[in-house]
Amino acid sequence: MDFLSMMLLAFILICALIVCLTRNLLTSIIILMSQSLAMSVIWILLESPDLAITEAAVGAGVTSLLFFVTLKKIHAIEGDSKDGKAER
Amino acid sequence: MAKLRDNYETSLWARFLRWMKSGSKGLERSMIRALEEEAEPSQHSEAEQLALEKAREEREMQDHERERAIQERLHLWSKTRGARLMTFAYRLAAVVICLAVIFVLLSSVSMLPEFGRSDNPANNEVAARYIEKGIEETGAVNIVGGMILNYRAFDTLGESHVLFVAACAVMMLLRLRLDKDGRPTREKLDAEADDRKYEPHNDVILQKVSSLIVPCLLLFGIYVVFNGHLSAGGGFSGGAIMGAALILYVNAHGLTRAGRQPLFGFKVFKYITFGALAFYSLAKGYSFFMGANHLDSHIPLGTPGNILSAELILPLNIAVGAVVAWTMYSFYVLFRKGDF
Amino acid sequence: MMAWIQFIVGASLISAGVVVLALSVLGVFRFNYVLNRMHAAAMGDTLGILLVLGGLIVFSGFTFLSLKLLLTIIMLWLTSPVSSHLIGRLEVHINERLNEHVREVKH
Repeated sequence: MDFLSMMLLAFILICALIVCLTRNLLTSIIILMSQSLAMSVIWILLESPDLAITEAAVGAGVTSLLFFVTLKKIHAIEGDSKDGKAER
Repeated sequence: MAKLRDNYETSLWARFLRWMKSGSKGLERSMIRALEEEAEPSQHSEAEQLALEKAREEREMQDHERERAIQERLHLWSKTRGARLMTFAYRLAAVVICLAVIFVLLSSVSMLPEFGRSDNPANNEVAARYIEKGIEETGAVNIVGGMILNYRAFDTLGESHVLFVAACAVMMLLRLRLDKDGRPTREKLDAEADDRKYEPHNDVILQKVSSLIVPCLLLFGIYVVFNGHLSAGGGFSGGAIMGAALILYVNAHGLTRAGRQPLFGFKVFKYITFGALAFYSLAKGYSFFMGANHLDSHIPLGTPGNILSAELILPLNIAVGAVVAWTMYSFYVLFRKGDF
Repeated sequence: MMAWIQFIVGASLISAGVVVLALSVLGVFRFNYVLNRMHAAAMGDTLGILLVLGGLIVFSGFTFLSLKLLLTIIMLWLTSPVSSHLIGRLEVHINERLNEHVREVKH
């Protein structure tokens, strides 16, 4: 276990904790995205590039896109309009 | 003559002259106008628009009243005795089920073999055999590809069916259907209007760059799928790349324009998913049947390293890739708009 | 001698790229407003990546790997400015109090 993979594993753990603990849904989705990006780097270090490609495309790309679209559908992304009305 | 002059205003030469005179700003404006016109093909007259607005307002009022009635009923119901009993039973059942699951999991963990024993399933002869005889038996240079599509093809069939079932479930929950008369329902119209609001009508930069990148991404995905038995990759990775490329296209050009492409329809999705899964099941069923009865399946193994080798792995990769790509695209479109 | 020149050029390119990336990260943390932060992040995405990958190309010489790295540079230079453009466009479109942060230049 070299230094880089240890750093990446620690990064994944911290990201997972923050995803659970943040209040803002948008922030947690973006952190989840970065977590799966680190995961794909770990797959590369474990010499399985096919899994890395899939993780980067599905985990970082499409899953977070689906989450974004869902948040937009249920109007959960808070805009910074003055009356606190949820927009976009 | 008058007609000729009318034509002259919109003719190519006149537009070119106008463009030359107006500099870059005119170009931008004309591009924006063209894109906006394309985005909203149906132009209603004012009276029709007013009538539509009125109808929508009435429907919203009705909706509001219905919602309030439902909420009142809910409020009344939550004060009755049955509701309290129901809540109690629900909580009790939740605790009992949770304890049962914990018990089952712990008992199965206690029955697992000891960690690190020499006769554990992890160190038995299967992995060694995959590595030693994989190329010889499956004809695939990529051992992982040979494993998941030859030795364990049944697993992969299950995985593709998981995707198919997920797409079916999303379609059941989120798809907005047509009326009995074949007209779109109110929810569908509202969803389309809501979606059109956020579409990037006139982002020229995104459209130009995406029209450069999307073909490259699709080509890369196809390469990964077709090379699944030779190098790292395969149906799932290549399908994910192709699905991401399709989603990028939809995001850049808008759903109205993507809907006109022949590849993006609901019918194409239906046929491709069904065809790929049916082909997978039939081909693998044939191969399993012949193998179990010690018959020759007459599928050539080929020389390892050629693109046409490794008996069924290449067509199975293509089938899995098609299922994954179209499922991903349909997920995105269903989540966003509720229809193809 | 050739190897020494290769090493020095590559190492200086990579260290310059790392400095640019560090500056862009610092900018992302120090700036307060979205468009300023986006400017800092985009600088790291384009110039820093170009310098680091250019150093790697110099290290690997004329091989197939350096061609792949060149392709990576082209891909990143195509995509990352577009994403910055989209973020800035979104900010300009949906922020109602844009005038507090931005001064419009008339020309």
